[in-house]
Amino acid sequence: MRRWVLTWIAPTSLALVIVSAGVAQQDPIKIGVIAPLSGPVAASGNYVRMGAEIARDWINARGGVHGRRVALLVEDNKSDPKEAAGAAEKLIARGQVPVLMGAWGSSMTLAAMPKLEEYGVPMVVETSSAASITKRGNPWVFRISPPSEMEALGLEKYLGALGIRQADFMAVNTDWGRGAVTAFGDMLRRHNAGIGAVEFMDQAATDMNAQLTKIRSAGGDTLFLTTSVEQITLVLKQAQELRVARRIITTGGSSSPSQLVKQAGAAAEDSYHIVFFMPWFPEAMPDPNLAKAFVDEWTRRGNPFEGLTEGFRGHDGIATIAEAIRIASRAEPQAIREALWKVSLMGLNGPIKFEKDGPAGRESGQSRPSIFLVQIKGGKAALPAFLRK
Amino acid sequence: MTTPFWLPNPYHLHILIMAGIFSILALSLNLLLGYTGLLSLGHAAFFGIGAYTSALLALKAAWPFVAGFVAAVMLAGGSGYAIGRLALRLRGAYFVLVTISFAGVASLVSVNWMELTNGPLGLPGIPAAEVAGFVFRTKRAVYYLVLAVAGLAYLVCRRLVRSRIGRAFVALRENEALAASVGVDGARHLGLATVISAGMAGGAGSLYAHYTRFVSPEVFLFSYTVTMVIMVVAGGKGTLAGPIVGAVIFTILPEALREATSWQWQMLLYGVLLILTLLFLPRGIVPALTAWRDRR
Amino acid sequence: MEAFLQHLLNGLLLGGTYALLGIGLTLIFGLRNVVYFAHGEFYTLGAYLTFAAASLLRVNFVLAIAVAILGGSLLGALCERVLLRPLRGESIDTTMLVMIGLWIATQNGELLAWGGVAKSIPHPFPTAPIVIGPVSVAPLRLFVLAAVLVLIAGSHVLIHRTRLGVAMRATFQDRETAALMGIDVGGIHTLTFAFGSGLAAAAGALLGPIFLVYPSMGDLAALKAFSVVILGGLGNFAGATLGGVILGIAEELGAGYVSSGYRDAVGFVIIILVLLVRPSGLFARAGRVG
Repeated sequence: MRRWVLTWIAPTSLALVIVSAGVAQQDPIKIGVIAPLSGPVAASGNYVRMGAEIARDWINARGGVHGRRVALLVEDNKSDPKEAAGAAEKLIARGQVPVLMGAWGSSMTLAAMPKLEEYGVPMVVETSSAASITKRGNPWVFRISPPSEMEALGLEKYLGALGIRQADFMAVNTDWGRGAVTAFGDMLRRHNAGIGAVEFMDQAATDMNAQLTKIRSAGGDTLFLTTSVEQITLVLKQAQELRVARRIITTGGSSSPSQLVKQAGAAAEDSYHIVFFMPWFPEAMPDPNLAKAFVDEWTRRGNPFEGLTEGFRGHDGIATIAEAIRIASRAEPQAIREALWKVSLMGLNGPIKFEKDGPAGRESGQSRPSIFLVQIKGGKAALPAFLRK
Repeated sequence: MTTPFWLPNPYHLHILIMAGIFSILALSLNLLLGYTGLLSLGHAAFFGIGAYTSALLALKAAWPFVAGFVAAVMLAGGSGYAIGRLALRLRGAYFVLVTISFAGVASLVSVNWMELTNGPLGLPGIPAAEVAGFVFRTKRAVYYLVLAVAGLAYLVCRRLVRSRIGRAFVALRENEALAASVGVDGARHLGLATVISAGMAGGAGSLYAHYTRFVSPEVFLFSYTVTMVIMVVAGGKGTLAGPIVGAVIFTILPEALREATSWQWQMLLYGVLLILTLLFLPRGIVPALTAWRDRR
Repeated sequence: MEAFLQHLLNGLLLGGTYALLGIGLTLIFGLRNVVYFAHGEFYTLGAYLTFAAASLLRVNFVLAIAVAILGGSLLGALCERVLLRPLRGESIDTTMLVMIGLWIATQNGELLAWGGVAKSIPHPFPTAPIVIGPVSVAPLRLFVLAAVLVLIAGSHVLIHRTRLGVAMRATFQDRETAALMGIDVGGIHTLTFAFGSGLAAAAGALLGPIFLVYPSMGDLAALKAFSVVILGGLGNFAGATLGGVILGIAEELGAGYVSSGYRDAVGFVIIILVLLVRPSGLFARAGRVG
């Protein structure tokens, strides 16, 4: 009997003590942020966090929202869906946040979504690209990043100028990579372009020689590449070694051309990249002043320049949320959700306004982000020749 | 247990539910590791097989939860049987490697076999568990369900361990040749141990799937197996209470660390704490507590 | 046909580095029979040390690699003394868990120290590939192959032609008798760990510039090392060398002709098949395992 008591009471009391050291009463408006701060995509998660922090500081410098400061409660989802769900639970139930931003990777976001419905708390999705996120009939989801289909549409108008007749694909074996292959493949087929080889790589793979050798044999004129910046670096270098000579276009917006130039060097020359923010020429963005101010503040804080192509997502997410709270006049989940439908603001990427997406009666919100195409020329990011005025 | 009443915050209940699921996993692993001496580092595979089986049957074939649960247990148990047959010829580190490889292959299959598992996109929208019309939708309900299943698992282990079969397990662990010489059928007993162990893990997987309502290839992550092993060994393998204590402590610990320190230090401290626990309490927490209590 | 040759060449180059990892692990594994999870971390450490030396301290490339190997060896020896020796009497699982703890701590320590962004190691070789008939190969990879061959040859000499090597082999075969013959068994343990870890660090140092350096790079490498060890037979030096090459080529051909998604499964399947059919490894004499 005593052993029973010992083994049950001890751990539960330990738990009680630890967790009751918890939540203090606070005046600021709390916004929960779920991001991968550790694990394979830790760099991206941290860039998003840095962007979010700049947004928060700017909002507070302007007096906050209705006089109240904004505070960010950041949780690490460790690139694991189970952790993402746990982080959402913790932020909502313990942190009492009325709204969330997250969770970067599509599987993480999908895992957190049931919690949004369970507790009735809205979330602004800043990066995930899987189509299913806004199609699942979850009215608490509002996405400002483009699903792969929208990205493909964004590239469609340049197909003629690029002259793509036969394309091959290489993508990371995740929902993101596979979704991109489907979306861009469908778009190319609509224009009677041919699809050659379709190769996938494991998220942790470093040696893509086998896939590249197959692609070399397939002989297309363009290679679509969808994966993280580290793997893009490796693919570019290995493609150069194997003499896979063709136009390379990366999708997804996480390619960080500046980092590619640093790490892949000459192998990155002439490659194209779909991005959603162009820090090299902020004057070309829809709101040039905002873009320039963001780039300046980012560099002033000593954040790495390469992170800007991801960091802006954090800023736009928080800016959107703050605007919704302003419209709602109170930091309450249901009110914020209704207010999000009324948001119309200019973010770093461009105009943010949500349209209905998904099954009728339970629509999620999806904005129409701007899609940009840049090329690496002479070791620097530049607008492609056919886009320069 | 009345815990949900004096700890009503859903976040705390969530932690306890996860601790309960991991208790079942730890108990199952303990059967192999603690009692028969077989170290399986692929246990996450059985967990994942159970989760996917239950999820797929519910989503694609509209099977009721109980049937799906039973199917999960049986399918996982069946895979356990396959591993058990391998154990006939291998021991120690080799067995460990086979189990790791099995889990690795299972993981790759779940990621690549899109038609079956939906690959990396995972299976969202799994319905909540339902027994005889009662739907386990609230946290409190799930907590009691998990508690019930965990209690059942504990009872099964206890009966098994205290029976002749259990003594045979221990005999095989201590000295296999000697055990064989007194007529203990190694093959049959090891097979039995792995089947029951794997089946239990599969059941835990089914509970997990219907609680989190989303299953993706990450359930096969090696880190889950590692967590289970930590719970068993640090809790005290070869004891009945050890895995449970280990499960509760090592579910709460990462969350407590999340509170206490910034995310940069969280896992680093976790690793260090693990090393220290084992250096000072190599037999595990429960045996150490028992020894201390006996000495007084 | 030319694709096949290219695959073969790729496999050979990869296999050489797998061999390095495998040799280091087979020696350690053969000695202690512990699932030595931390091996992958020495691989990662070797890469980070090379990065630190070459990129931050701007040391000569080859010297940077040498520094990494030395660092790896010293840390391996330290690990054996501080963590493994006190646990000498404990069960295999306790030791293994301490190794797991070390693995978690080291990896997160690296994340903390270097951040999650992958690093690239600067090297002096030209990036334009060398073309030999239908296949092409980067100059850096040829250098790595040469370095791998040198290290393997050097290790072979150490193990089979020096007294130290004799002592190591004697301790493998029969610890008690070796001790009775006056061999310092404790010292041999430390040295074996140092040697094995040094080789792992070498593999990381050599592969780091080809790929990228990031905290979790050792995980997959460690599993492949185990695959090589099983294939070649525990403690079997030549087996590990051949096993590494076989794994590299099998992976490349599998990824090239079967499916690139299942590439890493090749290593796992090899482990399962070999242990089912010939548990003592393809190159050892048959015997009971475990």
